[in-house]
Amino acid sequence: MTPRSVLVVGAGLAGARCAETLRAEGFGGDVVLVGEEPVPPYERPALSKELLAGTRTPDSLSLRPPDFWVDHEIALVLGQRVIRLDNVKHLAVTDRGARLPSDAVVLATGARPRNLPFAAPRGVHVLRTLGDALALQATLASARRLAIVGGGFVGAEVASTARGLGLEVTMLEAGEMPFAAVLGPDVGTLLADRYRRHGVDLRTKALAAGFRAHGSGRVCGIELADRSVVPCDAVLVAVGVEPERSLAVAASDIQLAGDAAGGPGHWTSAAADGVAAARRILGLDPLPTPAPFFWSDQFGLRIQLVGDARAAAAVEIDGHDSEFVARYWSTDGRLVAALAANRPREVAALRAELALAA
Amino acid sequence: MYEIVIDRSLCSGFAACAELAPDVFEVDVGGKATVRVGRSDDPTVLDAAAACPMAAIQVIEREAA
Repeated sequence: MTPRSVLVVGAGLAGARCAETLRAEGFGGDVVLVGEEPVPPYERPALSKELLAGTRTPDSLSLRPPDFWVDHEIALVLGQRVIRLDNVKHLAVTDRGARLPSDAVVLATGARPRNLPFAAPRGVHVLRTLGDALALQATLASARRLAIVGGGFVGAEVASTARGLGLEVTMLEAGEMPFAAVLGPDVGTLLADRYRRHGVDLRTKALAAGFRAHGSGRVCGIELADRSVVPCDAVLVAVGVEPERSLAVAASDIQLAGDAAGGPGHWTSAAADGVAAARRILGLDPLPTPAPFFWSDQFGLRIQLVGDARAAAAVEIDGHDSEFVARYWSTDGRLVAALAANRPREVAALRAELALAA
Repeated sequence: MYEIVIDRSLCSGFAACAELAPDVFEVDVGGKATVRVGRSDDPTVLDAAAACPMAAIQVIEREAA
């Protein structure tokens, strides 16, 4: 039975797309979107790039114009965290005491960044929210040397932005090269070389073991497992995220969507997930699942990956390090993923090629 | 007749539109979708709009003039 009201907990992309889809499919009941951050849904991918670089303002990141939510009768409850779901009374209670009733609940609470297992002095940041990005930006404004723990996409994008801002950047990667697991060693090596050419001090097999701080309380270095010290006056810890599920309760009328559902953490899959949750609530058939997709802009490269390269047995790279296509093949010779680096116009064709191979 | 509008600020280069309706959509050098033709009779534009994960494509149905 279609509910009369839907509460979407989490005002990120998955939550926003869920609420929008309910309306787009003609749902006439109440739709409430509650989010912990004080701002309406925004483009999170820009945080590590344009926002941090100062080329875009926080307001410009809004996913939809302010009138959109009013026009679509989607009630935004912002700056409040849902701390309790009462299944019996069909009620969500926020940290500010608001009581939000609903027949159906979607949990799109996203993910939270992992921290390192030791205390962080001032100047050590994570990057997930707009607030995180503004805090990191403020630290970088008075910093000369940024150390980034983690050679993943967030780390690489921030490294790229920080180099553009004129900072010295050290990147600490635990493995032998960045992205070995997600993109394979060949593409990983190509990217590592590129970072170094752009002046990044990339250290591989580097494990952070602790922070060093000045008497003032601001970070002045990272101690590595081999006892060496990387001097720095700003740190970004970018070692992945964990689904935010402190609210998750076992109940059949609660849907999980987006990163909270433990998906791949990609922007477009969160969007598709929000749509899917809305369609389940309305009893509509699911849409076909598109191949996984993500993109990353770093050091003058736009990397776009379609499919899942993790299980690939072989990779074939066509082009050179600033413009190439990599095709990933399974052991039985099937195309399982394709990566376009500065070849955005080829993505549609690669997507079609992958669909044929599936 | 369908009129097609893309909100390019939302486009993230997923390129599903250009895959499904290559006569109508293409991806530019910046990685964002553009319309080759602003109007089309081809109902696959509806599939392309539905496939956009960002809901960046709006299709408005117009009476043929």
